[in-house]
Amino acid sequence: MITRIESISNRLQRISCGGLLLFLLFYSLPVEVLAETKVNRDMPSSAVLNPAAELWRDVRQRESGSKGKSQVRGVDSGVLINANGDRWRKFRMEQLIPVGGSVLLGVVALLGIFYMIRGKVLIEGGPSDRKLFRYSTYERMIHWFLASIFLFLAISGLILLFGRPLLIPVLGKEVFSVLASASKEGHNLIGPLFMLAVVLMFIQFVRRNIYQKGDLSWLLRGGGIIGSKHVPSNFFNMGEKSMFWLLILVGSVIIASGLMLVFPVFGQGREWMELAHVGHALGAILMITVIIGHIYIGSVGMEGALDGMTTGYCDLNWAKEHHDHWATEVIEKGDDLSQAEVEKLEGSSLPEMTIVKLQESGK
Amino acid sequence: MARMKFYCDPERCIECNACVTACKNENEVPWGVNRRRVVTINDGDEGERSLSVACMHCSDAPCATVCPVDCFYTTQDGVVLHDKDICIGCGYCFYACPFGAPQFPEDGAFASRGKMDKCTFCAGGPETDNSSDEHRKYGSNRLAEGKLPLCAEMCSTKALLAGDADVISDVYRKRIINRSASVMARGVSYRDSSFRAPKNVGGKSSSNE
Repeated sequence: MITRIESISNRLQRISCGGLLLFLLFYSLPVEVLAETKVNRDMPSSAVLNPAAELWRDVRQRESGSKGKSQVRGVDSGVLINANGDRWRKFRMEQLIPVGGSVLLGVVALLGIFYMIRGKVLIEGGPSDRKLFRYSTYERMIHWFLASIFLFLAISGLILLFGRPLLIPVLGKEVFSVLASASKEGHNLIGPLFMLAVVLMFIQFVRRNIYQKGDLSWLLRGGGIIGSKHVPSNFFNMGEKSMFWLLILVGSVIIASGLMLVFPVFGQGREWMELAHVGHALGAILMITVIIGHIYIGSVGMEGALDGMTTGYCDLNWAKEHHDHWATEVIEKGDDLSQAEVEKLEGSSLPEMTIVKLQESGK
Repeated sequence: MARMKFYCDPERCIECNACVTACKNENEVPWGVNRRRVVTINDGDEGERSLSVACMHCSDAPCATVCPVDCFYTTQDGVVLHDKDICIGCGYCFYACPFGAPQFPEDGAFASRGKMDKCTFCAGGPETDNSSDEHRKYGSNRLAEGKLPLCAEMCSTKALLAGDADVISDVYRKRIINRSASVMARGVSYRDSSFRAPKNVGGKSSSNE
């Protein structure tokens, strides 16, 4: 008798539970997933657990992180929902494009303001008639090889990043698509050459870029940006050395992430490529910012700074003002040249390396 | 206008992959490209469920947001399509898509990405409906012929539903109520309810409805 009453009461309980479930499901159908959670919370009985709730948790990989399986072969084909995709979209659309764009424009604006205040840094002693040998043909070739590759990659990358908001309204989708396609193909094709150029640059310049005595005092005195007094430095000053190491380190990040993006055949999934894209973009924005400063100094910012990289010889007074330690060393060795000697060396058909050797042995 | 949606019922999908095959055949997609795939969660374990997934034709599609050349558009039927003449194959839509819908045929050296290919809801592309150009680039345009996507039409258990969102959600709502009714009537768990007819309820063909 008691069991009978119990079973009736169980039955009634079930019916009322079921009724409540039906009620809840019926009135909250457009938001089924929410409703299921609600049912679970409100219903004390675990018998009516909807297995779909578990499934959707698995699908979103919020708790279990278990991967599904698919007959379709491919990296990540067993992943139903890639939750990081939305994180990546937010990064690109809400941070990278507006913030990155402001940073680049800001640097250009700052340099413009700096130029208006400071103007071109002239050689105080005026151009001298004596020159110092600074970069060999091979060194200049590496520099301009890397520079042209960098410029191409930077411009094509910026077209892909900022083209949709900036260029499509001007060019239209069809024309911009051709430009963007060329940028993408060119970026992918030339990209690996950047790796070669950075390696050559590293091998050729690393010894002169190791931090040494005098670098810290150069930094402490602001590299001469503040005030008008020049700060003595070695062959490369602290700023140039830091840019070199930034190029090597940030360049490595850009190269590694670029390889992950350009060759989607190493089994890397979307999450790796999203991460690689974040590293690639941040590294590139940082490097472009620094290079804008580098180009500023080399062009309109300073008199005599570009000569070494174009002709191979720099002005003696410029060297004394900006690289005093190195200039003193060269003059002590008596390796400074007159304009006539430079012209003679430049006119010579002998390869540059031989000239350097002649220079050394002749003295 | 209608807003076209897919819905896959995990309580019904039996991982037969007919939708995958139907899609591949109907749209003649390139090698290595599968616009649709079936994913099985907890394969072989209790609570195993399968879902057929392709482009879900999002109302606010992330692929369209991140596309650097703005090649996506949404049709009046709410179908998300893209223009292959504008697509440059950068892969950004693939990074942003939650469902892994965008596919890339290998094109040229080093497996570089060709133009993106994805489920079109059997609605072709921007070209003239059912032109040979459209068929070559995007596959068939069944929507223009008044038909629904073949994957859903072929689904033997009617797990995969395609059509106007209102109709689809009505169908699914009825299923939920039926399942809940069997929970209520028989006291079985929700999990068991979907596969067995309730006691004392005669079988009935849906075609008699």
